Amino acid sequence: MRSSLLSAIALLGMTSLPQCAQVSDGIEVDVAYQPEATPAQIRTDRGYSVRLERALIVIGEVELIRCDNLVLDLWELVAPAQARAHSFSSPTSLGVPFVIDLMESAGTPLFAGTLRPPPDRYCGIRVVVMPADQDAEGLTEANADMMHHSVLIAGRVEDTTTGDETPLLARIGEVLESEILFDPPLVFDSPVLESVSIQIDHTKWFDGIDFASQDSDAVRQRITENVQSSLRAILPEDEALLSNPAYSDPFAE
Amino acid sequence: MGDPTLTVVGFEQPKGQRVRTSGTLRHRNDQIGEPQVDELQLSEQRLELAIAYSPTSRWTLSLMMPVVHRLVSAVNLAETDVWAPGDLDLRARAVVWRDRKFAPRHLVSMIGGLEFPTSTIERDADGVPLPLEFQAGTGSWDPIAGASYAMFSDPWSLYVSSVAVFPTKGTADTQAGISFRQTALGQFQPWHFLAFQVGAEFRIDQPGYITGIRDPNTGGHITYGTFGLIGLPHDKVLLHFTVAVPMIQRLDGEHEEGLAIAAGLVYEI
Repeated sequence: MRSSLLSAIALLGMTSLPQCAQVSDGIEVDVAYQPEATPAQIRTDRGYSVRLERALIVIGEVELIRCDNLVLDLWELVAPAQARAHSFSSPTSLGVPFVIDLMESAGTPLFAGTLRPPPDRYCGIRVVVMPADQDAEGLTEANADMMHHSVLIAGRVEDTTTGDETPLLARIGEVLESEILFDPPLVFDSPVLESVSIQIDHTKWFDGIDFASQDSDAVRQRITENVQSSLRAILPEDEALLSNPAYSDPFAE
Repeated sequence: MGDPTLTVVGFEQPKGQRVRTSGTLRHRNDQIGEPQVDELQLSEQRLELAIAYSPTSRWTLSLMMPVVHRLVSAVNLAETDVWAPGDLDLRARAVVWRDRKFAPRHLVSMIGGLEFPTSTIERDADGVPLPLEFQAGTGSWDPIAGASYAMFSDPWSLYVSSVAVFPTKGTADTQAGISFRQTALGQFQPWHFLAFQVGAEFRIDQPGYITGIRDPNTGGHITYGTFGLIGLPHDKVLLHFTVAVPMIQRLDGEHEEGLAIAAGLVYEI
């Protein structure tokens, strides 16, 4: 009887055993949005000077693209786009919309989140620009209209040859998808911490536009194309390369 | 010694002042989530230490304390390796009917009990509690109610039990669903020192909730086929080994349970 009592007491004593946990991080990819610093005036390649008063973009989703699925993903890109009210986060995608006020941009990165993908080869990253939802980060009363716009630009354009000044207003409501390829692909086969910066260069959004001759629809269309082409994915090795004074960009004119 | 049927703790005939202790090692695998997307894999080993005491020939009180080791692996190769206490389980079993007082062949019992919230709640890297299936326990006060029937007809025996667990709200705002478990075991004992078991275990669960949000990979039902051996190497020592194979899985969401293995030792004090 005494031994059974002792056994019961020993069992009860085990309830106070401490927890012992060991956590090891796996593959993690930190994602940041890095808009260029906004200058007082943006000089375009057609000789216009753009002075921005409002400039906002909403990045709704970023998703790593597996190399094996690249063909399928590209097909989805050219197939008719489906309107999406919300995105969902997964180990390879961040689905929380992020409202970026480019007027406040000083060229510093904004942390968007961490992806936790499975081991694989990733050939690129898909960036989806879309209207914000109520849960979007950075959504305030002042920019609540971004629930209807993917990109919003307001300002004034000056023709530097004539000195004429006209108002500029572009509201883009479509979902814009961009596939940005990595060269070489990101290969994950063991736990590692990687980072990707999505660079947004809005100083190029007005290139190729002749504001004097093009109507507002054509201007808006060209800005839409420029927004998509202005997005770049920068890996740490790219940043190291770009910061090297000996490096010359082979694509620079 | 009375009835010669070999039984593990919880299945035995009560006998006044009978005390049995046991240690059981259990292993199981579990997978939750979409493979290569958000799947979590669990490998769990539990050491269940128990004592059962029958003060009379009608009552048995049992106390079981698990110590749990879990290795949770995510698709991105992140791993969480935890040793922790599970939920303490206290049960009382009362024989409410038997066909005769001496060496009864048919026993009907009622079961009542309580699981204590002695386990810890596991969380992911962001501090969010892991799915309920990956917790060592529910972290809540869980009443237990059920009934069992046992038939002894040497060399055959049969054991059938129906038990329901009614979890309350746990720490970290978790709420496991009501779980109903049905067990049916047939046993053949050709020799006094060895018995073979075959049976089925059925479990149906209500969905669970974490911070008020339904855990999509909880709920549903599963049926295991079980195969076991019980040996008596010594008058006071009994060894048992059981393999449970999932036969029918209708679990909600993306959830798959694997093979479960149990091996244990019972010592009669």
